[in-house]
Amino acid sequence: MSAIKRIGRELKEFNDNPLPNISAGPASEDDLFKWNVILTAPPGSPYTGGIFTLRLELPQEYPFKPPTLSFTTKIYHPNVSNDDKGSMCLGILRSDSWKPSCKISQVLEMAAGLLKEPNVDDAVETGIAEEYKNNYEQFAKTAREWTRKHAK
Amino acid sequence: MAPSRSSRNSLQSVDLRALDYLTVPSANLLCPICHSPLITPVQTRCLHTFCSACISLSLDRSLSCPVDRKPLSHDDVTPAPIMIANLVNDLPVLCPNRERGCTASCARWLVESHVREDCEYASVKCAKEGCDGMVERREAEGECVHEEVQCEYCEGSVKKVDLESHNRECPKLSSECPHCLQAFANPELAAHMAECPEEIVECSASCYGCSYTSRRSDIESHTSTCHFVALSPVLQLHAERIATLELENKAIRQKLDLLVPPRPLPTPTSSTVTTTASNPMSASSQVSSTTTAGRDMTSEMQDYTFHLYSEYEQLRSDVERLNAQIRELDVKQDMARINEGLRYNDEMTGVRAAINGLRMQLHWLLANRREAGTSSPATSGNAGRAVAGGSANGGEIRRMSDSARQVVKL
Repeated sequence: MSAIKRIGRELKEFNDNPLPNISAGPASEDDLFKWNVILTAPPGSPYTGGIFTLRLELPQEYPFKPPTLSFTTKIYHPNVSNDDKGSMCLGILRSDSWKPSCKISQVLEMAAGLLKEPNVDDAVETGIAEEYKNNYEQFAKTAREWTRKHAK
Repeated sequence: MAPSRSSRNSLQSVDLRALDYLTVPSANLLCPICHSPLITPVQTRCLHTFCSACISLSLDRSLSCPVDRKPLSHDDVTPAPIMIANLVNDLPVLCPNRERGCTASCARWLVESHVREDCEYASVKCAKEGCDGMVERREAEGECVHEEVQCEYCEGSVKKVDLESHNRECPKLSSECPHCLQAFANPELAAHMAECPEEIVECSASCYGCSYTSRRSDIESHTSTCHFVALSPVLQLHAERIATLELENKAIRQKLDLLVPPRPLPTPTSSTVTTTASNPMSASSQVSSTTTAGRDMTSEMQDYTFHLYSEYEQLRSDVERLNAQIRELDVKQDMARINEGLRYNDEMTGVRAAINGLRMQLHWLLANRREAGTSSPATSGNAGRAVAGGSANGGEIRRMSDSARQVVKL
């Protein structure tokens, strides 16, 4: 199982060089394909102070197929679907632009980066993206409110 | 040494990808796919380097470079420069038998020969002629551990390698009872443990609630005074009865689930009442028979139940149909009645209008008649007088009649 070996290697690497504001690891010892991720929102964003939990699922064909990343904490964000899945579908996670050389830590870094700077041109929630572009104050207000309500 | 050397080559295979490296290898030497130092490195047309196995796996799934996603085919993959292969092959690794105790480390390209020929902990074929067992190389020089030896206690034959585990259960050896600390021969130990006087045991009525525990030798005195023990025959009887009732209950519930449909019953008519009334009776008789027959629902009874149930269902649907028909008729009749009423109403108003017209005519006629009645006697009187009194006073009389007529008119 090349997937397990690679995931194990990435896990070790991730534990040796942890990323700021991100903690992650497999949900259980015997299933390396499901990870729990906790993101602490970086300062300078409407999500500041929020603690977001995410679920990272790696396919059996990893690294040839992209992992899926979904927010389990509700978040008001243009790139996160506003349903009970909370899935994040973006750039490198799309199967047509996924590269096997991409690492889990890069995926998580990207997710953390999106909290700071949403990518409105590649939005899932177009309504929120419009609001972000045209009425940032309102967007920030709602995002802060949701963060206070769901992520604390 | 010479004759046994070749036979002592280990057949153990080395998984290069699972090796642990002595130093952290440079990130430039890692395969982008498996993230371990390159194994049989190959190079693509776009000058990226991968393990040969990894890139072919990737190309099986998608014909593009895993790094820059440029189109790529199997033909675009060529062996990497020998320098890269040398760099990764020279990386120092730990022996894969490290967990068994080997502390050796060597360059990666040597690790296979180390395991095959040198590693003291690699498993090799047993040196003895005709023996198929495997043994670690360091023990291969000694006598064959797969030989059958005689156990010095029980005189049975045991493989040498299994001797240690055999000693734990050899019938001639003794072990200590964990309760009374006396030594017993292995086969007798189980029998002793069942009656060891020192073991802490529970009161025999513990299942009924007695929480008393003591050494087995002392439990007898407690048993003679324990109320739970005294009551235990009765309690046991009760427990048995409850168990039977529970089983029976379960069977009855099963029947009930079959008989009672999940949706609410419509207003029962006489036919459904009789069927439902007969069902519980048959169900209870069935239940009693099932409980005596070992509480098994035989297929026959099931068929019967289903038959009853289907009959009941049929009747119910009949009643539902009849109900619907009655309702329909009701509605029809209501409609007809209302229509009739409307028609009568119309007719009534017509008749009333006609009567009114007639009344008006009558009034007019009456008024006319009255008028004619008052004027005609005057003219006839005039005429009589005119006949009797001559025409000399005619003008005067006419005037009088005129005034009289005017009075009437007024």
